[in-house]
Amino acid sequence: MSEHDRIRELLALAAADALTSAEEKQVAEHVRSCSACSNELEAWLPIASELRRLPTPLPSSWLVQATLARAEAKLAEQAEHDWNRRVMIVVVAFAWLLTMASWPVFHFVSGRFGSLPLFSDTWISFAAFTALGWVAGGVAALMLAIRQRGERRLA
Amino acid sequence: MVGATALSLEGLVAVDADVVRLRRGDLDALSELVTRYQNRLYRYLLRLVREPGEAEDLFQQTWLRVVEKIRSFDASRNFDAWLFTLARNLAIDHLRRIRPQSLDEPLANSWHSETVADRISSKDHTPLDHALAAERRTEISEAMAGLPMVYREVLTLRFEDEMKIEEIAQVTAVPVSTAKSRLRRSLEQLRDALEARYPGGTWQ
Repeated sequence: MSEHDRIRELLALAAADALTSAEEKQVAEHVRSCSACSNELEAWLPIASELRRLPTPLPSSWLVQATLARAEAKLAEQAEHDWNRRVMIVVVAFAWLLTMASWPVFHFVSGRFGSLPLFSDTWISFAAFTALGWVAGGVAALMLAIRQRGERRLA
Repeated sequence: MVGATALSLEGLVAVDADVVRLRRGDLDALSELVTRYQNRLYRYLLRLVREPGEAEDLFQQTWLRVVEKIRSFDASRNFDAWLFTLARNLAIDHLRRIRPQSLDEPLANSWHSETVADRISSKDHTPLDHALAAERRTEISEAMAGLPMVYREVLTLRFEDEMKIEEIAQVTAVPVSTAKSRLRRSLEQLRDALEARYPGGTWQ
């Protein structure tokens, strides 16, 4: 590609003010000595100028208010979601604490406090019951999360 | 020039402050951002989808998406580019769903030139200037509306939103070189369309 052809390809971008400073310099130097490119650049200028002056279509006057109303509802929903999550974290932490505390209490009540846990039937039943409770809670939380995600997608 | 730069910097600082407040759930900050961007964002969406009703719906969806995602917004990024990228993704999803062909093919008819003309705030002085300028703008609007979406988009971002090539590349998620060649091709297509529509007119 000759220098002339390369510069010619830049003329539309020159009218759009989208050249690097080096390219701008090359174009300016070339059009000074090339009348064809100078005329071509002149032809691009009114197009670029009119594009910059196109009227801005304005949105309806109610649009901003309607948008803000919906956004306010969304913010409130998010705040509630955040609150629920915080409450959930506290409840889960409390439940864990309670579970951990219940083991020594169980030992104390069963008269084995201070000794290593004996894996008797009672102890295994207690551990299984606790584990079952946690699994059921986990499954319920998972199902709830899936349902909420589905609801959000539909909304 | 210095004054314009100072104003522009002031605007950027105000946007940054509003973004920080919005992250804390401040509705007033959102109100200021919506007001600040309403004309630019609506115009951009209208240029993409060409239907005022659809542009308005997408405008609302874009701001809801902003509320949803603002916490994941990287404050070191340009908010304009982020906002327009969200709007663009929603508009493209919408067009894919509603009119898949409209992403590539030009519209046979002109876009709502009457609606646009109704809303012109002219800076031309004499009645003749006004009439000629209005005619040129109608011609260019119609020719632009007939271009494929990617070309309409790059033209509106460069000439109406005055975005730099780097910002256009960010919004459209393409390399800078692609954004640049897309801009050149869009201008060439626009000129061809003008010359074809108005042979012997002022565009040749």
